[in-house]
Amino acid sequence: MTPLVSFRNVSCRLGGKDVLRELSLDIEAGETLVLLGRSGSGKTTALKMVNALLLPSAGEVRVEGTPTAAWDAIRLRRRIGYVIQEAGLFPHFTVEQNVGLVPRLEGWPAEKIRARVHALLEQVELPPAQFAARYPRELSGGQRQRVGVARALAADPPLLLFDEPFGALDPVTRVELQRQFLALRREIGKTAIFVTHDVREALLIATRIALLHDGRLDVLATPAEFLRAPGEEVRAFLACLDPQGIPA
Amino acid sequence: MTLALWNEIVELTVEHVVLVATSMAIATAVALPAGILLTRRAPLQRWVMGFANIMQTVPSLALFGFLIPVPLLGGIGKHTAIVALVLYALLPVLRNTLAGILGVDRAVRESAIAMGMTGRQLLWEVELPLAARTILAGVRVATVATIGTATIAAAIGGGGLGVFIFQGLASVDTAQILAGAVPAAFLALLADGGLGWAEKKLSPA
Ligand SMILES: Nc1ncnc2c1ncn2[C@@H]1O[C@H](COP(=O)(O)OP(=O)(O)O)[C@@H](O)[C@H]1O
Ligand SMILES: [Mg+2]
Repeated sequence: MTPLVSFRNVSCRLGGKDVLRELSLDIEAGETLVLLGRSGSGKTTALKMVNALLLPSAGEVRVEGTPTAAWDAIRLRRRIGYVIQEAGLFPHFTVEQNVGLVPRLEGWPAEKIRARVHALLEQVELPPAQFAARYPRELSGGQRQRVGVARALAADPPLLLFDEPFGALDPVTRVELQRQFLALRREIGKTAIFVTHDVREALLIATRIALLHDGRLDVLATPAEFLRAPGEEVRAFLACLDPQGIPA
Repeated sequence: MTLALWNEIVELTVEHVVLVATSMAIATAVALPAGILLTRRAPLQRWVMGFANIMQTVPSLALFGFLIPVPLLGGIGKHTAIVALVLYALLPVLRNTLAGILGVDRAVRESAIAMGMTGRQLLWEVELPLAARTILAGVRVATVATIGTATIAAAIGGGGLGVFIFQGLASVDTAQILAGAVPAAFLALLADGGLGWAEKKLSPA
């Protein structure tokens, strides 16, 4: 079976800098692959290559077996949910309009969109009666991210991309949303590529972790393997977990 | 105040409003699409904005004068006045269209593209609604300025309230100057208030 997403010797040059170097990586249907790395290691760049926000300067990224450069970018993107740190909700749309955007672009009938949006809002624990008519500015950071997740799920895409979706939240809300993410994944079992710089988050939600260092793939391992993996960068990340390392 | 004077005030005020409205309609019809195009052509931005800035610095009386000998666009009369007023009104509308669209939050724009919006959908559903307030502010500034500048149009036969002002200046008649200046000031306040209100009504972004 072809992998859902396949990076093949992908390099990316941006502004004269090699941001990604010969990245090769397969993502199988159903897994949650976490791209872990320091900031600047190329995680966002790698993620944006999957939905053709960026194209490789060498190599290719294949989605469902077809290189992103050969896809109709609009069609490709409507099959891929995308959630970013700042949520990127449309400030002039209500929650309902935000979540229903892709179904509307896809020409679903209004009744079907409405039913779908309300079901999704229930699923992310934002009762539609209370939240559907609100504007993003009337929501807390955590609520906004949940709307962002609902919006990404709206047209039932086979693949979801997350770029540090919980990075800007307070620790308590972050843990809540991580739990919700896990519950949601059990429920709907979608494939996800999830970017984070938080090793705890990576160990919690990943089926496999890809550690990026300076634009290269350093380690590719399951969470259990990752804990025992050799290498300086792995150790640097694991040191974040060590209670000895936390100043009193 | 005689009835004849009153009638003349009304007549010239209407003429003034038509002059300003025509100029603003043309200026907006040119500057808005031009501004949108410029947001897609970063290298051109400096050149076009530079040209528009220079146009703005030419004293209005001089610009009216320069236009008189120009074939087609120039000569004596309303159309020359409109050409000059349009040239002045372009910059604020252009500048605010650029600023409004380029000022759309990066995360919002990126989400729109990542959701699979086409370029046209991005423009009509995201960029223009979010920039509408800023663009309208540019139209308001340009309209208020045009109402003032249009009084000078009388010098080249453009008509409007400037007719009173120039007659008053020639005959050193303060009352007559005021008959032009007061309605012009009133129009400017009205335009400022009306368009300012419309701005506030626009999208709560
Ligand atoms: N458009 C761009 N032009 C130039 N450099 C860029 C651009 N986008 C990202 N970079 C650089 O590429 C590197 C990796 O960026 P990014 O993929 O955003 O890292 P991460 O998401 O891991 O923090 C950074 O050093 C960043 O400065
Ligand atoms: Mg990043």
